[in-house]
Amino acid sequence: MAPRPAIGFFRSKAALRVLLVILALAALVVIRDNELAGSLGSRAQTFVTIFLSIFIEAVPFLLAGSIVSGLLEVYVSNHTLYRFVPRHPAAAALVGGGLGLIFPVCECGVVPVTRRLYLKGLPISMGIAFMLAAPVINPIVLASTYAAFGWGPILYGRVILSFLIASMIGFLFHFADPADILRPDQLASSDHHHHHDHSHDHADAKGVNRFWKALSIGGDDFFDMGRYLIAGSMLAAAMQTLIPQPFLLALGAGSATSIFTMMMLAFVLSVCSTVDSFLALAFVNSFPPAAILAFLVFGPMVDIKSSLMFLGVFKRRVVLYLILLPLMATLMITVYLNLNVSW
Amino acid sequence: MTTGWKTIILMAMGLFLFSRILNGTLLFYINERFFWLSVLAAVGLILVGVSYRYRADHDHHEPDHAGYSHGRLSWAGLLLIASPIVLGLVIPPKPLGAAAMTNRDISLESLTSAAAPEGGIILSKPKTEKNILDWIVEFRQTSDPAALAGEEVKLVGFVYRDERFGEDSFMVSRFVVSCCAADAAPIGLVVHWPDSPTLADDQWVEVVGVLEPGEFEGEQLPLVKAASVTPTDVPNQPYLYPF
Repeated sequence: MAPRPAIGFFRSKAALRVLLVILALAALVVIRDNELAGSLGSRAQTFVTIFLSIFIEAVPFLLAGSIVSGLLEVYVSNHTLYRFVPRHPAAAALVGGGLGLIFPVCECGVVPVTRRLYLKGLPISMGIAFMLAAPVINPIVLASTYAAFGWGPILYGRVILSFLIASMIGFLFHFADPADILRPDQLASSDHHHHHDHSHDHADAKGVNRFWKALSIGGDDFFDMGRYLIAGSMLAAAMQTLIPQPFLLALGAGSATSIFTMMMLAFVLSVCSTVDSFLALAFVNSFPPAAILAFLVFGPMVDIKSSLMFLGVFKRRVVLYLILLPLMATLMITVYLNLNVSW
Repeated sequence: MTTGWKTIILMAMGLFLFSRILNGTLLFYINERFFWLSVLAAVGLILVGVSYRYRADHDHHEPDHAGYSHGRLSWAGLLLIASPIVLGLVIPPKPLGAAAMTNRDISLESLTSAAAPEGGIILSKPKTEKNILDWIVEFRQTSDPAALAGEEVKLVGFVYRDERFGEDSFMVSRFVVSCCAADAAPIGLVVHWPDSPTLADDQWVEVVGVLEPGEFEGEQLPLVKAASVTPTDVPNQPYLYPF
């Protein structure tokens, strides 16, 4: 067996730097406040409240995603999975975009599931399309969007754009070598013998034991992904405590800047996709529909916490693409809509 | 050793959630409607923590696996994962208050536009039970401050002031939360009360008074002419929910 690859973003120097930056930001919040107020810092208090609120809101979804991942590992063999993967790359990307209808997960839960599917040999294109689309293309989010906006251009615009952008980006990654995309520890082993051994081993565990096994594998995933979620929640809370929202909102007047502003807001707020449509309602009066749509399409694909979680699956350069490609695609399409479609 | 730590942290996280659920402070963080999700998460975390006990006997061959998970936690990783529990225990739970307003949009535009869906249910509420959000929604439906003149109100909120408020006025404010405190949007009504200077910023108060047409920053708005303002405790539900 190959030696354990050096895992852990958290052992690399870059990780240390990211952590230091986050700690420095947190410290800054406290210090700034102590200078101003001279007490334990109402700003620090605000930071902690927002941080915990994002964490508490996200933790059930992350846990659910991790447990699904554990169940997949124990109960679904690689062979079973492989039978459902279309051979044609474009078809694979499209199916990936619709996979969320079977795995109803939001953007916190989707990353551990995608990660597990990659380990089981899912094509890169399908996984990326799934990861980007599932937070919108799933029954729960469709229902909450319907509840907030009813049947109209916002609802079907959200579904169509999310599906198209996600599948398109997924398809693009079909042309890349998996070794360039995934972190080394994420590559499905090509050593079939080894894999066979492993699943055989799972089959050995019986009944209740098998279930506990699935749960504990889910637990490992929870820890692997949880640190990114927590770092992301801290960053989002720090940005919310430090950057005045009026500053962001004041930018949003023009046909392109209003859209860009709403996208930045979605990125910074990092709200779960299952509820973001209710949040978007609050902006309906002050922003054009295309900007609301951009918020609802971009936010579930990419936000602070999910892009940090991407780091647990993909190489750093790829994470950058995974932020920029949805950003540019959403921006271009919604600006076009804003200029050419009357709502 | 790693599994031991994981069990401890999962258990601690589950118990931490349970404690916030039991003493009601969970509502300082999330919208009431997601309460049940946190209950499920607390149970799930403890179950997953327990599951490590049962896996221990199978563990000897794990290191062979491609090394994706089962990763040992570095101290930094451990600290990071434990940080919600540590911060939650070190800093006493407190809902967002006046301090959080300074960083949010408190222009009147946002005060009145905060998520205002159809108000059918609100209109049927007894008048003394209507909260700040209900009154603002009602005002938005008419957009005529005079229409609400003379209405008696009883409002609970915290005191907010900045340089735009005169000596004898303040704003009785609440945060509206759709999902969690991260999306909190401040709303409020301007209160005229001669003894305003005696109130501390961020103090929770109950305001009893009547609405009268008024102006604030050049906008026509209903203002509250207070008969009494009494300090109160933080309510069990510090935030208001738009749906």
